Amino acid sequence: MTAVLRRKIAIFQILVGVIVVLASPTATLMAQTPSPTHLEVVALWQPVIVKLFGAGEGSLDSYGTGILVSKEGHVLTVWNHLVSTGFLTAVTADGKRFPVDTIGTSAEHDAALLKLKTEPDETFPYVDLAQATDPELGSSVYAFSNMFRVAAGNEPVSVVHGVIAARVPLEATQGRWKFPVKSPIWLIDAITNNSGAAGGLLTDAAGMPVGLIGREIRHASSRTWVNYAVPLTMLRPVVEALMAGRKIDQRPKDATSDVPMISDKDLTAKYGLTMVPNVVERTPAFVDDVAKDSLSGKSGLQRGDLIVLVEDAVITSITDFQQQLAAFRTGQRVSLTINRDDELKAIELRIP
Amino acid sequence: MNRRSQHSSLLLFLSFWLTASSDVHAQQTLVQRESARVETIGRISPGVVCVMAPNGEGGGSGVLISADGFAISNFHVTSGSGSFMKCGLDNGKLYDAVIVGIDPTGDVALIQLQGRTDFVAAQPGDSDQVRVGDEVMALGNPFLLASDFTPTVTYGIVSGVRRYQYPANTFLEYTDCIQIDASINPGNSGGPLFDIQGRWIGINGRASFEKRGRVNSGAAYAISVNQVQLFIEHLKCGLIVDHGVPEFTVETVEGEVVVSQVSELSEAWRRGLRSRAKIVSFAGRLVSSANDFQNVLGIYPEGTRLPLTWRDKEGVHSATIRLRPLHDFQKAPELPEERKPKDEKHPEAPGDEKQKFEAPEELPKELTRLFVERDGFCNYHFNEVQQSKLLDPLRARIGTKGDLKNVWQISLASSGSKTTDSKTPPISLTGELTIGPTAAGLKLDGVPYLQNAENPVAAEEPVQLPGLLTAVLQLRKLLSGEKTAFNEQLAMGQTLHLPLQKSVDILVTREGARTSRWYFTSESPFPVGVDVEYGQGIDEARLIFENWQESENVVFPGRIGIVAGVQEQLIWLTTGDVKVKQ
Repeated sequence: MTAVLRRKIAIFQILVGVIVVLASPTATLMAQTPSPTHLEVVALWQPVIVKLFGAGEGSLDSYGTGILVSKEGHVLTVWNHLVSTGFLTAVTADGKRFPVDTIGTSAEHDAALLKLKTEPDETFPYVDLAQATDPELGSSVYAFSNMFRVAAGNEPVSVVHGVIAARVPLEATQGRWKFPVKSPIWLIDAITNNSGAAGGLLTDAAGMPVGLIGREIRHASSRTWVNYAVPLTMLRPVVEALMAGRKIDQRPKDATSDVPMISDKDLTAKYGLTMVPNVVERTPAFVDDVAKDSLSGKSGLQRGDLIVLVEDAVITSITDFQQQLAAFRTGQRVSLTINRDDELKAIELRIP
Repeated sequence: MNRRSQHSSLLLFLSFWLTASSDVHAQQTLVQRESARVETIGRISPGVVCVMAPNGEGGGSGVLISADGFAISNFHVTSGSGSFMKCGLDNGKLYDAVIVGIDPTGDVALIQLQGRTDFVAAQPGDSDQVRVGDEVMALGNPFLLASDFTPTVTYGIVSGVRRYQYPANTFLEYTDCIQIDASINPGNSGGPLFDIQGRWIGINGRASFEKRGRVNSGAAYAISVNQVQLFIEHLKCGLIVDHGVPEFTVETVEGEVVVSQVSELSEAWRRGLRSRAKIVSFAGRLVSSANDFQNVLGIYPEGTRLPLTWRDKEGVHSATIRLRPLHDFQKAPELPEERKPKDEKHPEAPGDEKQKFEAPEELPKELTRLFVERDGFCNYHFNEVQQSKLLDPLRARIGTKGDLKNVWQISLASSGSKTTDSKTPPISLTGELTIGPTAAGLKLDGVPYLQNAENPVAAEEPVQLPGLLTAVLQLRKLLSGEKTAFNEQLAMGQTLHLPLQKSVDILVTREGARTSRWYFTSESPFPVGVDVEYGQGIDEARLIFENWQESENVVFPGRIGIVAGVQEQLIWLTTGDVKVKQ
C-alpha cells in the first residue's frame, strides 16, 4: 500500500467514527466496529486499476484490465490474447498512457505480470497482495474493471456488486482452450464475464483485495458463461516469483503429448504451407513459404506472417498451430489471425 | 511513523471492519434497511408506468412526473406505438395516453395519461449528486411480466457516472448518463431509476448487450434526470426536440480540451474562439476531455445559450454561445431495425392480457382531439395549448389597443452599463426613436439611422446599440396582438435566460429570414426580452425589457437593455413616454 492509501484508510476510519458518534444513538457500540461504506471502498480501489489496450480480432476484444501490484508499476492481469499478441498500452486512473513490457507469464495460473515503462522515479498506488484475503461464502464483493470500455481516458472504471457464490475447481473452456487453474477459484454472482473485464480486481465489502477477475469462458458441461475470479492469495507467490525473475512453466507439459496434429509433410503437401524450421520447443509460428495456387496461397498467407490465433485460440508455437489445425474437419473454413508488419490481419483458410 | 507501525495500524483497522459484518448491531441495521427499502418501494411504485402499444403488443416502461398525467418514457419505446398508447399502473388499472413530445437524440418521450388529475408523480432528485457505489433501484416492466402492471424492482449500485455512450449505428446518443449494475432487460426501457431514498434520478434506456443477447449484462445506462428536466418544458410543447452543436470541434490532448476547428460563421468565432484554444469550462462545468465536453453539450436542447470559457495566447476569455440544431428533424426519425422495440413479452408468459384489447377499438373523441398532426411537430395540439398560455394574457392586456397604423416617438437615454471590462468607460447616449408600421428610425447624438421592417439589415443598425431598431420593429408586431403578425409562431419550452439568469418560457416567431425568441415569465403578460436572428454568421439582436408602461394607449418598456459587442456588454436605456402621431 502506498502512503496515500494508508492515509485514506485512516481518514475513513476517523470520518466513519465521527459520523457514527454524531448520528447514531448506539454510537459507542458502533464506533468500535466501523465498516467502510461502499463509497469508500470504491474510492480506495478505483485508482489501482489500469485499462489495457492492445490488439484484438473478431470476437476477441482489443481491450482489457489490469491491477497495479507494485509501487513501481507492475501490473497483474489474465494471460489472454491481449498479452500474447503484444502491442499493449496501459492507461492509469489519471489518464496517463504507458507502453507495457511483459515480465512473465504463468499458464497454470492463467496470469501475466506486466510492467509499465515509466520514468525512473515514478510511483503508483497499488494493491499490496500481502493484504489479499479469502472471504467466506456469501460475502459481498465489488468487481472493478474496464468492461465494455465504457470509461475512457481518466474516467474511473466500472464497479459492479455481488456475492461470493462458491469456491470450486473450475472446468471451463474457450474454443479448444481449457482453463488451466487446477485449484479452486471464486465463483461470483456479479456479471464479470464481459468484454474487457478480465484482469480486473475483486474486493470484499470491507475493501480487502480478493481476486483477479477471469476471462470470458463457458463452463465445460453447462456451456453457461462463468463469472469467476482467481484468488489473489494463490497468485501472490506467482507474482513474487515473476518479479524476482524466476521462470514459471508456460504450459503444462502433458498438454502437448498425445494430441493429434498435422504433420510438416501434410502441411506442405495439402495446405501448400511451410513453416520456419521447428528447432526449439516453442518456435513461434512463422510462415516460411506459401505455394502459389495452394489453399494457403488462396487464403492470402504470405512468407513472414506470424500466426497469432486460430479461431479464438492463441498460438504459442508451430506445434501448437499444427495441433489446433488438426481439430477441424475437411471443408471447414477456419479464421486465422496473423501478425504482418506489426499489424493484425484476419484471413480465412479452408481445411483440405 | 515507521513502516512496521503503519502496517500494524492498518491491520488493526481492517480487523475492525471484518468483525463488523458479524456484529449483532449490523444485523439489526440490515433489517432496518430492508424495511426502509420495502416502505420506499411502496411509496414510489404508483408513479411507475407500463407503456404498451394500443394492441397490447410490445412496449416498455415510464414514470409519471405530474398529477395531470404527464409521464416520461424512452423515444424507442413510444416510437413503436403510434400517437396513442395504453398505460398500466400499479393499481392494476389501464389508462389511455397520448404522445406529447419526443427527443429522438436523447431517447426521451413525453406522454400524457388521461382520466385522472391525481396521478402520483415521482419526486426528482439531483443526478449531479449521484456517486459511484450509491445503491439504486430500477422499476419497470421487464418482459411485461406483471399482467396486473405491478412494477418489477431490480437492485444494484452505480457503476459509473457521467458516462458517454456513442450513437452507434443510430442517432440515439446517451450523454452524461448513469451506469448501473441493476438488471435491465427488454421492457425496462423508459422506466425510472431511483436512489435508495426513492428519489427519481434517471430513465433506464440502454445496456451493453453482447454475447448474451438482449438481456442484462451488468452494464446498463440511465439518462440523468437533470438532462430530462432540461427537456420537459420543450417536450410539453409537442415538439420534436433537437439537441445542439456548438459549431466548433474539440479533441483531448494530454488532459486538456483543445479546439480543433471553428466554423467562421459561428458565434464562437465572432467572440474570438480559434483552433488550438483550450476550453476551460462549458455551461459552468470544468472540462478535461472531449467526452467531458460532449457530456455537457448533450444534456441541453438546441437553441440554449451557454457560457463558454477558454484560454489562448492572449489569456482567458468568456462568452455565451447559442447551440445550433444537430439534426433538425422535420418528422420523427425511423429507428434502425435492431433498435425497434420487439415483442418483449416473456416467452413463458401466458398470452391472456393480449386478448383484452386485441380488437382495434374506435378511439373516443375526447382522446383524438388531443392529437394534431403537423410537420415539424410531434403533436401540434400541445403547442397550441402552450402558445395560448403565453399569448392569451398579452392579448387580454392589450385588447383592442393594438396599433397598426400610427407612428410612435420615444426619447432614449443611456442609464448606465454593465461591462466585464472595467477599462471601458460608461456609455452616455441620448436619442429619439421613431417606430412606424414599415420602418424604424433613430437619431442618436445627432446621427440618423433607418431600418426597414420588411428586410432589416444588421449593418444599418446603430453601432453603439446593435439590433435595437430591428428588435423594436418586431416588438411592435408582437404588440399589435394580431394572430397573423408573423408567418409562424410556436411555443418552444423553457430556458435559463442569459444574462437575466432567470427561467423563462420561450415563444418563437418567424418572418422572412428572421427568427425571434420572445421570453416570458409568469409574473407579467409582457415579454422580458427578445433575441432576433438575422441569419447565419450575423450576431443576434439581444434585448431585455423592463418597467412596462402605458401612455396614449400604447404599452412599451420603460427600460431596455441591449447586449452589445464582442464583450457582450449590457447597455441600459431609459425610455420616455410614447408619443403617438397619426
